[in-house]
Amino acid sequence: MSISDHAGAAAARTDRHESFLVYKRFRFLKIAVAAIAVSLALYIVDAPYGGRYGGTWAGYVLGTVAALIILWLTWFGYRKRSYLKPEAKLVAWLSAHVYLGLALIVIATLHTGFHFGRNVHTVAYVLMCLVIATGMFGVYTYGRYPQRMTENRRGLTLRGMLGRIASLDDELRSAALGVDDATAALVERSVATTQVGGSLWEQLSGQYPGCRTAAALAGLDWLDRVSVSVSPEQVRATRQLRMLLEEKALLLARARRDVTYKAMMEVWLYIHVPLSFALVAALLAHVIAVFYLW
Amino acid sequence: MQAEITFLTQRGTAAIRRSGRVTTERLRFGRGTNNEVPLPDIRVPLSAAVLYQGQDGLFIEKSGDLPLRINGQPTQGALVRIGDEIGIGPYRILLHEPPAGLDVAFSVELARPIGDSLQRIVEHSSIGLEATHLSKRRPSWVLFLVLIAAALVAPILAYEESGRVTAPTAVSAAGGTGGAFRAAWNPGQLSNAHRYFANQCATCHRVPFTAVRDSACLGCHKGIGAHVPATQAAGTAALHADLQNRRCADCHIEHRGLDSLVLREGALCVKCHRSLAQKTPAAGILDVTAFPDGHPQFRATVVADPSGPTLAKVTLDRMPKPADHPDLVFSHKAHLRRRGFPALGIKPMVCSQCHVAEPSGQGFLPITFKGQCQSCHKLRFDIDLPWKQGPHGDDRAVAGAVEGFYAAQVVEHGVPAAAVRQEIERRLPGNASTSTPMPAAPRAWVAQKTEAALAVIFKSKEGCFYCHLADPRRGRFRVAPVRMLIRFLPMARFDHASHRALDCEDCHAARQSQSSANLLIPGIKRCTTCHGAESAAFKAETTCVSCHVFHRHELGPMRETAGVSKMTRAPEKAKR
Repeated sequence: MSISDHAGAAAARTDRHESFLVYKRFRFLKIAVAAIAVSLALYIVDAPYGGRYGGTWAGYVLGTVAALIILWLTWFGYRKRSYLKPEAKLVAWLSAHVYLGLALIVIATLHTGFHFGRNVHTVAYVLMCLVIATGMFGVYTYGRYPQRMTENRRGLTLRGMLGRIASLDDELRSAALGVDDATAALVERSVATTQVGGSLWEQLSGQYPGCRTAAALAGLDWLDRVSVSVSPEQVRATRQLRMLLEEKALLLARARRDVTYKAMMEVWLYIHVPLSFALVAALLAHVIAVFYLW
Repeated sequence: MQAEITFLTQRGTAAIRRSGRVTTERLRFGRGTNNEVPLPDIRVPLSAAVLYQGQDGLFIEKSGDLPLRINGQPTQGALVRIGDEIGIGPYRILLHEPPAGLDVAFSVELARPIGDSLQRIVEHSSIGLEATHLSKRRPSWVLFLVLIAAALVAPILAYEESGRVTAPTAVSAAGGTGGAFRAAWNPGQLSNAHRYFANQCATCHRVPFTAVRDSACLGCHKGIGAHVPATQAAGTAALHADLQNRRCADCHIEHRGLDSLVLREGALCVKCHRSLAQKTPAAGILDVTAFPDGHPQFRATVVADPSGPTLAKVTLDRMPKPADHPDLVFSHKAHLRRRGFPALGIKPMVCSQCHVAEPSGQGFLPITFKGQCQSCHKLRFDIDLPWKQGPHGDDRAVAGAVEGFYAAQVVEHGVPAAAVRQEIERRLPGNASTSTPMPAAPRAWVAQKTEAALAVIFKSKEGCFYCHLADPRRGRFRVAPVRMLIRFLPMARFDHASHRALDCEDCHAARQSQSSANLLIPGIKRCTTCHGAESAAFKAETTCVSCHVFHRHELGPMRETAGVSKMTRAPEKAKR
């Protein structure tokens, strides 16, 4: 292998890890800014009688461009499921998706000529804004959570964390063999109902109010306070259990945090995608309405 | 340091031992394959612990985040001896007596293999949003279909339903479900005048995917006036044809709410009017490029020759100053004396005494003798009968009316006694005759009185000719017809009511005018002190249509409306 081959491989690796935001030195940001500049120029140059609105020639041009961008960006949803195409191409698509999507705010707003009302046309515009807003939240999560996820995982995968928790569960069961029934029951509940993830709220908030491990720790504290005469073996075993439960609680918190980060990176899509479909329908209605009743 | 490592693996009830020897300074434990003691389990970090020969003996130190336990007790690092049990995650490491020549020996056993516990946790956990009730596909299609139904299909059905109506009827714009769906397509409120049929899209939008046709507008606005006469001066044919080809909607934009649906931009007018003087010189139209700069001085329409009468357009800038010829002797100055007319008991006069506003306030009612003059200028003709006035308005009827009056006097009262006595009395010697003797015969008396009265009425500077001019061509007792114009700028529309805040004299210099020939119409400069261009920030915004009317009803209809019915939607519907 020659030196140049090494360099090429390194460059390719760098390229593969390049963020979609800086893809090809902000190529699509530049394209989006250029599109915005051209749209603004078009809007300013065309001064039709009766004021600017979507029905002038500049309005039709801006509207057509905006509609084509919307359809093309929607196509991304389908395109990204085609795994046969090279990966780098998908980064390009995402970069274009983000920047052209943002450019739509300006292009489509200029198309409206700042005329809004309670009608299909404004519904399409509002849906577009909502889709863009959810997309912006998506970009925000992609910028924020991967790093936090890495920090939280510290080299471990989620499955690794669950494996460790499973080990701790086994240890807990072993260690609880010699303790009194009340303590054993607390431990068994913690082991039997160990849960990571769950409902939408639990995944998003990371709050698990029914966590049996937390309950077991609290229960041990309570038993400590109310128990009168306890054998030294029992004390040792309880200490061992407390230690294991605390370790499990920490691991659970990490695993659940991981799930929360993942959920935050996914949840916006559950709004973004349905709203995009609604937008395409509203766009269709808008275009047909305009020309049906020309 | 030389070490013997024995890996113990449980296979059913049998235990398999696999031993190996390693020579190294540091024995590393961890999941990674680079470790001297690999611990291949997901729960173990890549690097978990390090064992090395310290000064006091063997020392083990934690190197990952996995708790390290010595004989069950968690620790960051500790000295270990033979017989100690080291716990690294699920692995149990037991230190043995090393064989001769070795420094350390231990067994490594996976004490808690991953298995049922992990399976249980995975079963209890729903990780990822796809494991919740959330879905992308279902709401996507639901929203898509709902919007297609509500925003596309329903409005089309509602439109088709209302499509049978081609003439506007008074139906509430918000009425019915169909109304709501039709309103969903409405890009903006209709103008106020059209709003009452806003629920009936097909009133204007008669054919789908076809721009609104003029026939839809002319259905109601049948007689809308033309802009240029069809038979105007040479050169206007092309302009006329061009205007015929324009759509109503080119200048009238709907769905703009309470904003006027008339386009107000001057540029629209200037497009043609900037070069009409060259294109149609015979039409006598001046070019306009903008307002106020680029708009010519006003041209007043005046009576140029009253005998014709001939009207002429004269620019207000002309020198000598343009004069009107109403054939009326009138001095505004004489009437607007600051002291009034105290001898006659008349207070100082004001404009509104004579110039009475129309009910709309836009212009003024015509000046009439009876309405404005007669209260001061009485048409007396007999000093003995100060209550009696002659007729006004028809000079041919004056003589007959006066004669009839005296004849009626004779019939009713007979010839006055003074006249009879004068007939029989003798004149004293030396006394000169003081007056024409009055005849005692009734007919002669009437004739004489009539002659005397007509002499007063038609006497220069006292009777009719105090205000009127004589027209000797028509006869002795004839008055030249008055040609008083109501509007001097007929092509413009000036609303006096909206200028009520100003004094009349701010624009009309009446107090200095001594002749009815004086034109008291102010020039364009007076307007531009307050009125500016469309973009003016500190003056009243003024466009062409602020003063000028496009559709001039006096020119007849703009469009032929005969073909309207062919374009209506009703017959198309009927065929289906």
